[in-house]
Amino acid sequence: MKILVAVKRVLDYNVKARVNAEGTGIDLANVKMSMNPFDEIAVEEALRIKEAGKADEVIAVSMGVSQSQETIRTALAMGADRGILVETEEELQPLAVAKLLAAIAKREEPGLVIVGKQAIDDDSNQTGQMFAALMDWPQATFASEVEINGDKMKVTREVDGGLESIDVAMPALVTTDLRLNEPRYAKLPNIMKAKKKPLDTLTPAELEVDITSRLKVVKVEEPEQRKAGEIVGSVADLVDKLKNEAKVI
Amino acid sequence: MTTLVIADHDNNELKPSTLSVVSAAQKVGGDVVVLVAGQNCGAVAESAAKVAGVSKVLQCDDAAYANQLAENMAPFIEGLAADYSHIMFANTASGKNIMPRVAAKLDMAGISDITEVVGADTYIRPIYAGNAMMTVQSGDSCQLITVRTTAFDPVAAEGGSASVESVGAGSVSDKVSWIGQELTKSDRPELTSASIVVSGGRGMQNGENFAMLEALAEKLNAAVGASRAAVDAGFVPNDYQVGQTGKVVAPDLYIAIGISGAIQHLAGMKDSKVIVAINKDEEAPIFQVADYGLVADLFDAVPELDAALAAG
Amino acid sequence: MADVAALPGYEDATPDIVSAILEEAGKFASEVLAPLNWDGDQLGAKWTADGVTTPAGWKEAYQQFSESGWNSLAFDPTYGGQGMPGLLSAAVQEMWHSSNMAFGLCPLLTQGAVYAIESHASDELKQTYLEKMIAGTWTGTMNLTEPQAGSDLAAVRTSAEPAGDHYLIKGQKIYITYGDHDMTENTIHLVLARTPDAPAGVKGISLFIVPKFLVNADGTLGERNDARCVSIEHKLGIHASPTCVMSFGDNDGAIGYLVGEENRGLMYMFTMMNEARLAVGIEGYGIAEMAYQRALAFARDRKQGPVLLEKDSDVQGIVNHPDVRRMLMTMRSQIEAARVMAYDCAAAFDFAARHTDDEVRARFQRRGELLTPIVKGWSTEVGVDLCSLGVQIHGGMGFIEETGAAQHLRDSRITPIYEGTTGIQANDLLGRKTQYDGGKAVDELLEDMRATHEALAGSANPVAAKAKAALGDAIEMTASVSQKLVAEKNPVLAASAATDYLMMMGFTTGSWAMARIVLAADNTEDRAFGNLQCAIAGFYFDKIATHAKAHHLAIQNSASEYYELDQALL
Repeated sequence: MKILVAVKRVLDYNVKARVNAEGTGIDLANVKMSMNPFDEIAVEEALRIKEAGKADEVIAVSMGVSQSQETIRTALAMGADRGILVETEEELQPLAVAKLLAAIAKREEPGLVIVGKQAIDDDSNQTGQMFAALMDWPQATFASEVEINGDKMKVTREVDGGLESIDVAMPALVTTDLRLNEPRYAKLPNIMKAKKKPLDTLTPAELEVDITSRLKVVKVEEPEQRKAGEIVGSVADLVDKLKNEAKVI
Repeated sequence: MTTLVIADHDNNELKPSTLSVVSAAQKVGGDVVVLVAGQNCGAVAESAAKVAGVSKVLQCDDAAYANQLAENMAPFIEGLAADYSHIMFANTASGKNIMPRVAAKLDMAGISDITEVVGADTYIRPIYAGNAMMTVQSGDSCQLITVRTTAFDPVAAEGGSASVESVGAGSVSDKVSWIGQELTKSDRPELTSASIVVSGGRGMQNGENFAMLEALAEKLNAAVGASRAAVDAGFVPNDYQVGQTGKVVAPDLYIAIGISGAIQHLAGMKDSKVIVAINKDEEAPIFQVADYGLVADLFDAVPELDAALAAG
Repeated sequence: MADVAALPGYEDATPDIVSAILEEAGKFASEVLAPLNWDGDQLGAKWTADGVTTPAGWKEAYQQFSESGWNSLAFDPTYGGQGMPGLLSAAVQEMWHSSNMAFGLCPLLTQGAVYAIESHASDELKQTYLEKMIAGTWTGTMNLTEPQAGSDLAAVRTSAEPAGDHYLIKGQKIYITYGDHDMTENTIHLVLARTPDAPAGVKGISLFIVPKFLVNADGTLGERNDARCVSIEHKLGIHASPTCVMSFGDNDGAIGYLVGEENRGLMYMFTMMNEARLAVGIEGYGIAEMAYQRALAFARDRKQGPVLLEKDSDVQGIVNHPDVRRMLMTMRSQIEAARVMAYDCAAAFDFAARHTDDEVRARFQRRGELLTPIVKGWSTEVGVDLCSLGVQIHGGMGFIEETGAAQHLRDSRITPIYEGTTGIQANDLLGRKTQYDGGKAVDELLEDMRATHEALAGSANPVAAKAKAALGDAIEMTASVSQKLVAEKNPVLAASAATDYLMMMGFTTGSWAMARIVLAADNTEDRAFGNLQCAIAGFYFDKIATHAKAHHLAIQNSASEYYELDQALL
């Protein structure tokens, strides 16, 4: 069985996002970029499945600018077998990414596709579900445990207030939640070997996928600044403010 | 222009989040129809019919929807979509699971986690974990949306009198089966991942008094933390410590009780979204970072807060 | 880096591999090592009769470190190393030392031991020990110092009696870093000792491999050797790094194996000394880098009084007070200068090892050897001062341990001491590296400095004028004083000037480093980065390079009164 893992190049999670001067997006010049943390978990899970003898090959796929190659190399250094980059300078929205991923899945015919539940840049949480819809595959989203039994897979999902288990027939899609695993650190010999692993580059045109953005970004702004603190008069006031103003309880 | 709101429910009761989604739908304008798909969900449909501003409730009672499996829900909603300009879900695990699947089936974009409706096709949503707000405009004929429910004031649960219309079920997937769920999270969350943290400082006076905070945390499903001073004094173990040399936390709500707010403590919690400080010393530096400060003796305030939370 | 990667054997050091290695090393340092730094300091290593235990989490982190292959980065591929250049290793080592110096010391010592065995031991010993040491499965130590033999190794008394195919070692060694610990299954000690008929002094010292557990013919571990840690020191800093008193041969004698030939031990030790001294120099600025980052974060956050700079910025912390800014730039500019010097030194040794032309190799060997005492001496002296500034920027908070700034100062304080004190480095620079070769290595350095000086004339960059002036001064001072010292026949005068000479060479070589940064900034496409680099360099020329003049003057002022004084009057 092949496993396809999608990995996205995003602003490193330790770097604070700042809105650019034009108000059209986030300033990404001279800032550290890394693999989306949920995708690291996806790569780790795929590798563990392979190491358990339940898969033969792990393919890391990324879409976007040519520097996304580095993200694929990171996945290869962790242990993925080969990479595919769909290179484009265009902005890719989740539907377009799902279509590209589906086009690749139709070529590669993986038994399992694992993606992060969301990317920490646009926080959409859509691509995996859209991909499963396009493939007409079952979707095991927000997974905290994956157990493959033959052509079926039992997945524990993180839902509001607890956990839920489902059985899905493979091929299937999994999106990863934080508690699924703890991704490994790349080993030095594997970093060196990663360079020699195959990495194919394709374009959306070659895959015959229309990647036109469906949503127009009107503007991007800084969030409202934190209000100056206030002294409340009583416990009742405090509870009221927390419930109705801050809406945190 | 009509919006279809997908009800958030557990077959027994309509979740309050639905009221916030209806509120967002009203901001879009036009009629609001609520879909209640589930199993033995009559009571939910009845509740939905009473919600203020709802013009119609669609109810589909079928085993296929008992657990809101996306593989069954999506084709069903897809079948209804032609009649609607907007389809809205709460940003619950279920809404996030189903919405994109419907969107892709319809070849429409999904718009996640909106916090504001600017116009009938324009929305604001947080990106980069809320460090920026993006305004997006959709050109799709049917707009698929999840709504951050905390950002919209719920409409009244009562006052409406919509009709309930029964609709037939859609196709059922044989590729997925629901096994079970485990919703009782008896253990409270971990300090670093909890969305609410209640912390005590030297003002707690001794370890026994931390029981008050434990009780409070129980009600809020919060984790309990402490300042270094409280840890040094032996009130609580080391792993409770929040601060520069302890754990760094950034919950939605941080309640600092009897903590003066040494800079080393602030380093561990200053990124919390909302900070509450309860301290009897009004000069305590903690008040400079607090969103809400209460100058009071914690031995009066904490039991009172506990009682207020218990009362709901 | 491109020039080093062009050397035979370094073909794998391509830009993408190098950046991937730096990236992953950075991740490991910040996510695994840095979080242990504070606890390690507070808990410290503990001695028990059964051996030394490291603080909680240390063992797991070390295992992860060696399993990830980090120990093997720059070693010989024949024995499982990755064969990457020393230049890359220098950059990676900085990360270990910045994030957790007490941890980084363990692989630092193993590295020294590996180089000694690699360069001088028999093939049989190499087969037995190198692979596991390079993998990091076993760690290494260097056993030189004895209670009566510190900087002066001529006084070494530990004895080695021949006994068949091995020797029996008896004696006590002190200050043995990671002499015993619980992180690996075996520890390999390299021990200086005297054979029965050895000549007195430094010419009678031999080098031995003494494993904690003897190694069977099939590579498995055998009996416990008679080498034990009898206590550990309580120190000012690096608390998690056990500094052991080692006792060899308390019972029957510790079994040891001769490295190379008898009586050549000190020479063997010196071949790895350059590497170890360079590594300590890297520690010097590496820990200052951590102090800088901590101080900067604090200065942005800490609000005190109305600021004078960037009044409209959303950051209104003390970072916008000019004096705090001055301290931060004092840190940053010298850290960058030290880093360039260390890279120059590491790259010089890469060229010296791999270049195809004998003359080029010899020239770079001289360059590396000349820079080593400067990197070790200057970067660590400056490093301590910068860690102190890191505390200062924090104000009262800096004096409080919990803030973390104080730990960097305490940890850094050992760096100008071990692997040869600054005084020893100064004697090495002036005696062995300058006077001994008639100033040849310094002349070659001056040639390169002059080439940079000329290149600056072609730069339109406003900072280039400052660079030209400062580098011109640096060349002038270096040339005049070096000639004077090479000609100096009075050993007392020379010795009294040595440390000022070392410090002056540090500041002048620093000007050269900064001048090249200005030239590089001219060629970078990233303007924001280029401007930042020029601002840092400009600060160095205006505020830091001036220190060279003070030392230059001090070298020439003999102040003979002070050493003519009777010591009783001091």
